[in-house]
Amino acid sequence: MAHHEEDTLVTVVIDDVEYQMPEGMNLVDAAKVYADNDIPVFCYHPKLGNAGNCRMCLVELGSPRRNRETGEMELAWFPTLQTACTQTVREGLHVRTATQWVADGRREILEFLLSSHPLDCPICDKGGECPLQNLTMRHGPGTSRMYWNDKMRLGKHIPLGEIIYLDQERCIHCARCIRFQEAIVDDPVLSFDKRGRKQQIITNSDPGFDSIFSGNTTDICPVGALTTADFRFNARPWEMQAIGGIDPHTPEGANFVYDVRPDREKGGMNTIKRIMPRQNEAVNEIWISDKTRFVHHYMDHPDRLTTPHIRKNGQLTPATWDEALEVVATKLNAAGARAAAIGGPRLANEDFFAIQALIRAMGSSSLAAYPALMDGADIVNQVGVASGTNLGDLGAGDAILVVASDLHQEAPIWWVRVKQAVERGAQLVLVTGRETRLDKWAAHIIRSPYGGEASALNALGDDVMQVLNGATHMVALVGSEGMSPATSRAVAQAAANLLIETGHVGQAGSGLIMVWPGANLQGAYDMGFHHRLGPGYEPVDEAGLDYAGIIEGLTNGGVEFLLVAGANPVFDDADAEAALSGTGAFVVVQDLFLTETAEFADVVLPAQSTAEREGTFTNGERRVQRFYQAIEPLGYELIDQGGGARADWLIARQLHNKLGGPVPEIAATQLFAQIAKTVPQYNGMSHAKLARVVPQFPDVGGDDLYYGGTSYTNVHGTGMQWPVRAEMGSEHVSTAGVDAPAAVQPEDGMLVVVPTTSHYNRERIFTYTDVLDQRIPLPYAALNPTTAEGLGVTDDERIVIRLDGRDVPVTVLVDPSVPENTAIVPRRLQKQGAPHATTTAPVLRMERVEQ
Amino acid sequence: MSEIILLRNREIENLRNYDVYVEHGGFEALKKTLQMDPEDVITEVKDSNLRGRGGAGFPTGVKWNFMPREDVTKYVAVNADESEPGTFKDREIMEENPYQLLEGSLICAYAVGAELVYIYIRGEYWEIAEILDESIERMRAEGLLGQDILGSGFSCDMHVHIGAGAYICGEETALLNSLEGKRGQPRIKPPFPAQSGLYSKPTVVNNVETLANVPWIMEHGADAFKAIGTEGGAGTKIFSVSGCVNKPGNYELPLGITFRELFEIAGGITDGNQVKGILPAGASAAILPATDEILDMPLDYESLKPYGTGLGSASVIVLDETVDMAWAASKMVQFFAHESCGQCTPCREGTYWLERLYERIDHGDLDPEDVERMDSVAAQMQGKCICALGEFAVNPVMATIKHFREDYDAAVAAAQGSGDIPVMPETTPAGD
Amino acid sequence: MALMTTRRADIEHHLAKYPDKRSAVMPLLYIAQEEYGHITQEAIAEIAEIIDVDVTHIRGLIGFYTMYHDKPKGRHLLYICTDLPCAVRGAEAFSEQIQEHLGIGHGDTTADGMFTLENVMCIGACHRAPVMQVDFRFNYNGANWEDLTFERAKQQIEDLREAQQTE
Ligand SMILES: Cc1cc2nc3c(=O)[nH]c(=O)nc-3n(C[C@H](O)[C@H](O)[C@H](O)COP(=O)(O)O)c2cc1C
Ligand code: SF4
Ligand code: FES
Repeated sequence: MAHHEEDTLVTVVIDDVEYQMPEGMNLVDAAKVYADNDIPVFCYHPKLGNAGNCRMCLVELGSPRRNRETGEMELAWFPTLQTACTQTVREGLHVRTATQWVADGRREILEFLLSSHPLDCPICDKGGECPLQNLTMRHGPGTSRMYWNDKMRLGKHIPLGEIIYLDQERCIHCARCIRFQEAIVDDPVLSFDKRGRKQQIITNSDPGFDSIFSGNTTDICPVGALTTADFRFNARPWEMQAIGGIDPHTPEGANFVYDVRPDREKGGMNTIKRIMPRQNEAVNEIWISDKTRFVHHYMDHPDRLTTPHIRKNGQLTPATWDEALEVVATKLNAAGARAAAIGGPRLANEDFFAIQALIRAMGSSSLAAYPALMDGADIVNQVGVASGTNLGDLGAGDAILVVASDLHQEAPIWWVRVKQAVERGAQLVLVTGRETRLDKWAAHIIRSPYGGEASALNALGDDVMQVLNGATHMVALVGSEGMSPATSRAVAQAAANLLIETGHVGQAGSGLIMVWPGANLQGAYDMGFHHRLGPGYEPVDEAGLDYAGIIEGLTNGGVEFLLVAGANPVFDDADAEAALSGTGAFVVVQDLFLTETAEFADVVLPAQSTAEREGTFTNGERRVQRFYQAIEPLGYELIDQGGGARADWLIARQLHNKLGGPVPEIAATQLFAQIAKTVPQYNGMSHAKLARVVPQFPDVGGDDLYYGGTSYTNVHGTGMQWPVRAEMGSEHVSTAGVDAPAAVQPEDGMLVVVPTTSHYNRERIFTYTDVLDQRIPLPYAALNPTTAEGLGVTDDERIVIRLDGRDVPVTVLVDPSVPENTAIVPRRLQKQGAPHATTTAPVLRMERVEQ
Repeated sequence: MSEIILLRNREIENLRNYDVYVEHGGFEALKKTLQMDPEDVITEVKDSNLRGRGGAGFPTGVKWNFMPREDVTKYVAVNADESEPGTFKDREIMEENPYQLLEGSLICAYAVGAELVYIYIRGEYWEIAEILDESIERMRAEGLLGQDILGSGFSCDMHVHIGAGAYICGEETALLNSLEGKRGQPRIKPPFPAQSGLYSKPTVVNNVETLANVPWIMEHGADAFKAIGTEGGAGTKIFSVSGCVNKPGNYELPLGITFRELFEIAGGITDGNQVKGILPAGASAAILPATDEILDMPLDYESLKPYGTGLGSASVIVLDETVDMAWAASKMVQFFAHESCGQCTPCREGTYWLERLYERIDHGDLDPEDVERMDSVAAQMQGKCICALGEFAVNPVMATIKHFREDYDAAVAAAQGSGDIPVMPETTPAGD
Repeated sequence: MALMTTRRADIEHHLAKYPDKRSAVMPLLYIAQEEYGHITQEAIAEIAEIIDVDVTHIRGLIGFYTMYHDKPKGRHLLYICTDLPCAVRGAEAFSEQIQEHLGIGHGDTTADGMFTLENVMCIGACHRAPVMQVDFRFNYNGANWEDLTFERAKQQIEDLREAQQTE
């Protein structure tokens, strides 16, 4: 699909003009890119290839052919119009797109497509951004010759599950949705039913349209047949303004736009009406997961905090910013080097930078990025994927190693891109404790016992080493399944060693990616939000406390002041709850909601959501990407009364200033300039440069939405990847010993309990999005059938697992992909429902719960 | 009496019985073939001028010759879908002379180097599939299928695959999709099955009757075959004659026969009526008016081309003067609307629209523009569809309007109150 | 009872015929239809599992091919061809007579649940019109169902009904 410099160029004549085009390229794409000729299409899609079913792309076609009698080459024109989408560029091809014959053909196909199509554009969600509407304007008939009474009458707004609705009358049978589900995301839960004019889209999955990518079908659907329950009848495309955003929930850094519109219900303020993918071929192409698309409803939820609170007489009581900041500054000052901070993954680089600067100004390096499941960012700084890496370029001859990750759940976009790289010929090696949705594509699967992943990497067999050694490029993705910081570090180091030993560092297309559990943990570490490493991975003179140390410090006096920003440890961690409930330390929480953690705070500060402010995130591939303010900050109207949410960085800067620091920057842009100066890896970057866009192929969106769907043309920036040390030369990297832990062995009568990541969970932000609510699994433990039988339990029964002294009730899910004597327990399906950020649950007791 | 190649069952009692088949020279051609170089087998079939009996009339040897010579997995798919209205010839071969088809298929597999043969038979031929299953089982028992057939080193097996009610599955690439367990929707061509067919492997698709000719050709030689029939069509052809004739049925006759002779053999037109229109190949080829010129035309794969129609599978539906051609067209339009796979726009929408327009005749609503509209909707489909079904659907409309416009005019007149709404004349149900 | 319990040998026989098990879906659907009278959701789920195809796609097949049905039908399916070649030989009138006799319309099932009648497109017996298939067969219950007259068809239908009732 993509075209490369090295492609052979051949001569093609389109409408009497000669063009040089790469041989083998799809004719529709080639005409568009090289001849600026928009051949109309419905079923063709540059990401899905051709189906040849809509017949919209008809052209006159002439092909060189040898005359049998004379032996001469001559041009033979086909006697009928031909579909351009089923043609590839070859030498001497002649195409006519501007003749009456072609115009008639296009008009005739459109007349057919419209013959039963409802003319409900005025109330159709797609109206205004509808390929059928646009192409009808350009090529279609003015009126229909079909008797209105004869039109096919079919079902309207049929729910395909609770997320996507189908309007059967609008469907033009292009099969883009079916093909997307099958070919791109391997959830083949859509099909045609019936045949002829009765042919219809159906799903028979349970739940309906069971796919975490379902929303994408509404983008590529060239009519309004598929719409999201979330956006239906919500706004018209032309009323909305598209503001660039970056996914604040997952590490891939998917680019999107917030489509915003002033709403009467919101007092004329801008509201997010929907999130749509924004093309970035190096990141998410034109796809976003349903989580990325729909999880924004928390941002304007009435539960949001709009004003600071100070605990008075045991009660959190509203206060002004001045009061709150004053109290906090005083307490912070008093704590001095006994200050600590925990920062969650939705924080931007600017936030992490400002908070670490504040805490470090107090002489402390007790900084913990949260969740603290993984470690190894400094290893990424050595051998991370080199700048210029694009997973979309990997293919034949390349190798991909995935360790300790169910990538489909942890980072769905990377899952898609890894799978597609394999489909292009890359070899996939998996080192995982159980079967995942990547197994199907793997060339080698090493089923390592949980905890033993690093050892498994150290002892890869010859066959696997041959693949890795022989690979042109190699990318290693290290996930968080069952990980603790220590095991994760060992795995990261072992993976790094492999990359170094096989010669796969420092070149574009190769290196390490950590599948961080959240959007901006890479950025957190880059900014020096780490107890041992300062900005740019400079080791600090005196290490501070890590996450576990900070929690301990709350009890033993090591921590006297704790700032928690954008993190909710109490939801996950019983130790944190115990420590906070008894601590003498002063606790400040800045967040969007009164979280379980904020309940224990002495001061709660209302923070802005990602959409309310600007900033940058750095994705797991170390691409620094800029997001923009899409809506007014919550509580905007309360500013005069000293209320309103503030950006996390600004809060930190204001505190810093109160303690003698510089005058707060007036914008994140300014603070970023500071970052670019302080963090060597970010040298030369600026918000302005991050807003630059490199040319994208295929060129979707804009006027051409019939071609690629309603994914948005990227005008907001494609970001910049920072260089790792390996790129400066091999002398900058070296292997290191791996402190490989032993695999966790089940003791008698106990199970190995593995905390994993579920794409949907019961974090507060999720539960505010109605359409996803039904997709969040009940808290469960997946057990191997043998194990379940041994325990005498079966599907849907409830059991209690005793974790670290807590009784955790879960539903049994019998699943043969789980190894024996093991329980897979996803994190965050209930409060403190998974084992403490480690891979084991050495203590385990099973009890039957009466229903 | 002319040569009988296919319907030998009419002369030999119980030919469907294995022993009877062998007694009458069965599998001698196979034995002979297995001694030959596969390349020579292809050449022999090519030289015989045998053309496909499934409809398109493509030279069979040429098709086999397209198969790659490399040692890769290849398949043979026997097209026993026989769903064209008016076609019931393959049925008789399979019911009464099954081993000849199986022998021919095996020779084909040997010639192209295929290791598996699938017989795709329409679901409504359930009993016939059972006959094939039993016959295949017997061949296995006799060592004619399986490993190292008759000590030749050639190994091959056969299976019957039963369709489930979809005319489109007779289209070769739809057939392959169906065989792969998918919806029977045609594929975009190229690639052709010989390049990428069943499971993306090179595949030969041939009609039952085509393959049933092959043992005879191998036994008697290409020249003997060519000696029968015409230049535009060697050998005999089974004509399935239905409609308004006194003795409808299958007639195996040398190509080059005329409609007049054929109708004579089929007992003449019912009730001594005049023939009005002839559908030479079921519903899919354009209807011909029964002029003397047409009636005396020697029939082969070339002769009907100038009339915009073709012999196809030679399933001749005879329509006499009592038949209203607009009605006949509407029956065919209904058929195509029912059988359109739904994949491509012009066929899916066009057949639906045409069906609605033809309903207007029944409802007494037809106005003159509707006739033009039928014609133009049909024309609008032409040359734009993925497979030939959509192109077939154009024929009943355009050809009946062209040749029998008066029948449409009558419907228009009836709708305008100056005539009766034409109804199908009462025919007494035929039968015993 | 699951198909794999009741029809294991048949299923395995069909699976063995193809290099790709997905190809066995059509014979397996027939087996399900034979077992349960129609293709049940449970059967779809089981077949999906056996051949490793999403249930949705199996629904799509059932919808595409007219001989599969996922709704209960009468005990016997009567197909009357009313396509052009049969129609010119009186098949439409014949079908109406049969419908009247059975007291049902095209596509309906008799009150006793015995017969479902469908007018169908050509079934390859145009020379023997009017023709009727019983459960996809030209020969059923010891009788041939081609070259019918209404009287003979009526008799054969009643014989069939009787044979079922005494069963
Ligand atoms: C809509 C359609 C239906 C067809 N049905 C049949 C059929 O039932 N039997 C058949 O042999 N060929 C049928 N064909 C022709 C096949 O596509 C193919 O040409 C044929 O099987 C090749 O075999 P032959 O070369 O031996 O004729 C059909 C073609 C089309 C387009
Ligand atoms: S012409 Fe008709 S049957 Fe053929 S592919 Fe198109 S829709 Fe399907
Ligand atoms: S057929 Fe070419 S775009 Fe649909």
